[in-house]
Amino acid sequence: MIAYILWIAVMVLTAPLFLSLIKMIKMWLLFKKPLSPLQGYRDFSKLLSKEVLISQEASAITHIAPYMVLAPLVVVLFLLPPPSAKSFFISFTDAFTLTGLVALSSFFLMLLGLDSASSFGGIGSSREAFISALVEPAMILVIFALSLMAKNLGVAQATINLAHHFPIEHLASFAFAGIAFFILLIAENGRIPVDNPETHLELTMVHEAMILDISGWYLALVESAAAIKFMIFASLFVSFFMPFGMDAPFLVALLIFLLKVAFVAILVALIEVNTAKLRLFKVPNLLGLAIIFAFLSLISYYILGA
Amino acid sequence: MTNFFIGMFLSTLITAMLTTRLYRLIAWYAVNSLFLALAAMSEAVRIQDEAMLISALLTLVLKSALIPYLLKHFAVKFQAERNITPSIKVQYLIILIPAILVFTFYLIDPIIAGAAKNYISLAIASLFLSLVLMIEHRNVFAKVIGFLSLENALFLLAMTATEGMPMLIELGIFVDLLMAVVILNLLFKKEASHV
Amino acid sequence: MFEALFLPPLAILLLSFLDIAKIKRFLPIVSAAIFIPVLFLFASDHILYYHDLIAVDKLAKFVLLVSSVVSIGVTLALESLEKHVAIDAKDYKRFYRFFALFWIGMIISVAANSMGIFWVGLELATLSTVYMIKTNKSAFAHHEAWNYMIVGTIAIALILFGIILIYAAAKPAIGEEAMLFSALGAHIHQIRNSYLFEIGFAFVAVGSFVKMGFFPMNLWLANIERAAYYPVAALFSGLLESAIMVGFFRFAHIAKKLNESHLIGFTYIYALLTLFIVAFLIYRAKDFMRLFSLSGVEHMVLIAIFWVSGGYFAALLHFAAHAFLKPALFISTGVLESKGKYHIAGALRGYKGVKGTLFFILVGFFMLAIIGLPPSPIFFSEIFGFGAMVEMAKASHHLLLMFGAIAFMLLLLAVIFYKFVEVYQSMKYEGSEEPKEVYASEMSALALFAIALLALLVSFDYIEHIV
Repeated sequence: MIAYILWIAVMVLTAPLFLSLIKMIKMWLLFKKPLSPLQGYRDFSKLLSKEVLISQEASAITHIAPYMVLAPLVVVLFLLPPPSAKSFFISFTDAFTLTGLVALSSFFLMLLGLDSASSFGGIGSSREAFISALVEPAMILVIFALSLMAKNLGVAQATINLAHHFPIEHLASFAFAGIAFFILLIAENGRIPVDNPETHLELTMVHEAMILDISGWYLALVESAAAIKFMIFASLFVSFFMPFGMDAPFLVALLIFLLKVAFVAILVALIEVNTAKLRLFKVPNLLGLAIIFAFLSLISYYILGA
Repeated sequence: MTNFFIGMFLSTLITAMLTTRLYRLIAWYAVNSLFLALAAMSEAVRIQDEAMLISALLTLVLKSALIPYLLKHFAVKFQAERNITPSIKVQYLIILIPAILVFTFYLIDPIIAGAAKNYISLAIASLFLSLVLMIEHRNVFAKVIGFLSLENALFLLAMTATEGMPMLIELGIFVDLLMAVVILNLLFKKEASHV
Repeated sequence: MFEALFLPPLAILLLSFLDIAKIKRFLPIVSAAIFIPVLFLFASDHILYYHDLIAVDKLAKFVLLVSSVVSIGVTLALESLEKHVAIDAKDYKRFYRFFALFWIGMIISVAANSMGIFWVGLELATLSTVYMIKTNKSAFAHHEAWNYMIVGTIAIALILFGIILIYAAAKPAIGEEAMLFSALGAHIHQIRNSYLFEIGFAFVAVGSFVKMGFFPMNLWLANIERAAYYPVAALFSGLLESAIMVGFFRFAHIAKKLNESHLIGFTYIYALLTLFIVAFLIYRAKDFMRLFSLSGVEHMVLIAIFWVSGGYFAALLHFAAHAFLKPALFISTGVLESKGKYHIAGALRGYKGVKGTLFFILVGFFMLAIIGLPPSPIFFSEIFGFGAMVEMAKASHHLLLMFGAIAFMLLLLAVIFYKFVEVYQSMKYEGSEEPKEVYASEMSALALFAIALLALLVSFDYIEHIV
């Protein structure tokens, strides 16, 4: 029980660290003076001391939405596959629950963007809807394919099965699922080929456009929601595609888990440095690829057994 | 391991189909051939066939290095149009590609079970996908890439379905000749259009 | 003696490097020399050569004889090519060179016993055709040469794909010999994986059908023949399509032993679709080249369908007759179109002198022979062929369906018949009289084809015993 609480706490607390890590690696690779990995925490505390300003056209939604953006993601955190096989609580959630909760969070984010009645918010919300409509089918398919390969529909149990017996004969389907899921990770967290989290240029921004009009505590909530979302996807990725080290004692397992997440963060940073942002209407090409690979993974497992 | 390499072969082919840039298409073709060569090698090691190992090495050298390099060279030399948006829209491709895959997977279903069954269906699937790749582009270079991928599909089938053919090396060399002529033809065409 | 078959083409290949203008009148004699090895092959009973890779059986002998006549005719007609179209000396040489290569590929694929060798010959013939098309310098020809390259190689690749599948299906039962047509035919019932074999056959058939311009690739062949110089079209219809057809004959013969009803269903559906489209395309044709090449597609359909229905005699007779008639017609388009592409009206008027009169009589004869007016061999082959189809329909489980298909085919053939008669009347009785030049070389080619057709009429007995 304590281990479980500790794990959740570590996930929440380290979430901003990894986003700062990505930023740091990128700046370092671009020969800039890298910022501190603790920048995420500094931003958070700075936002806490700021006043909450709300547009006068905004309705009650703006007051509810930041909490509702964060809440489903926190719920998902509790249901994620644990870092250790001997965990206290092994959840039984399946692909639909996870995707649904993540979608609920983005739904309120979109409402938040629309509510301030600024033109940017509308643009951002429509783009977000466009992207997440393409992400969801792929995500459900991927997680289903993986659960089938691991012989359990519950996500958490599936990863533990994978750790105990890796299905080497299904390596091809596994690789397809991996590619698809990595594309989803990038798209859903607004990383570079899909969205650039660092600019505020109206032509390109998606996530930033929706939260342009809020400030203070609400902005802090939404920013931490983004960090937690990355954490969720990264931890799903590592527990499905790097299922090792789960039998170690809890603290060691937790450490290995964090190292794996850091590895994913580095991977994302490398991709961000090496690619240019896609035009918005090229994004379906990338996400279409994810859908095709997810489907391919499912059918090649199901029909060919490969 | 062959499984994995053939899976990656298929996935690079699908990625190539959604590409909109010429040089990237050429690069994907090179990666595609690389995985084909790796699959051939692991299969050759499995059934201990030296002839197949040789043709795998040939594939590695010719198709994943030399031919992409030459194509890139020609594309630069003749200033080929680099933006090659497929004429089939991506939303249709998302439906078309899985449909082709499902079709071929079920097409092979009645075959008497064997290790090669899956490989045959994947080879037929990649044949059809290469045909779509050829159809969806108007650019000559992209069409040639489609043709070369079709040839890769042929090699995949010959390698996996028959566990090494005696005639095959010979045939493979002739196919390579065919490819060389395709590329030369490209050259001629440009030459003539410059005059 | 088999090797001697390659001597005449090789001689042409070598001679083409010399001054072509001086020696070109001797080249028909060189190519006529191919009769010597062909006749020797007819006399000998030796079938298999080179570890069974080559088999000169009765079918191959017959097709080799037919193709030799066509090649000699084309060589004769090539002599006057420069008088009808603008071609410079370098391209003229190139044309002869690639014609020789084409001929070699064609001989290899006809005489092959191994599926791989068959494919290699076909590929050689295909590639050399690209260069023959490219001797025409126009932009249209350039485009079409590309088109041919792409579509032709796709078709060839499909054939190879099918061959590999067939080999994969047969190898567990037959072993390494599964590449040989003879071994496949002999041991076909030992194949356990007959489904795989049928998929392979379907790929081979679709590849050959694409190459011959069947549904859905009906127009590409017509465009290519329109774009290239007319001897290319003659070679295409006389030689390349023959080589592919022989391959189809051999594969279909094996597939028929395995599962006849699948083969018949497949070919009939393909044939009906093709005929349906081609009949109306012919009805709309406005120039000779397209008219003849679309009619070539129609005849290929008929040959294929006669063969699978069991009318081997009819198929072979039709095959030979078409191989003589179509090159003759294509060669005569060089004269017929000398006043412009779309001059159908009056094309058969205005010929003077002995050569002119003979030309006019022969072309009229060919025009009416190709649609099957008696006593053309096509008349007999269609009678026998449809007879075989009716026999097959009576033995099948779907009597009404088969009769419906046959009746529909006859209806479509009637459309084509009507168009040809109309064109003939327009050529003969409409338009104004314009003087046209006829040369001795193409006249001799036409005369050769006419004699070959007459010879066909008296050799029914022999053709009947080929299969």
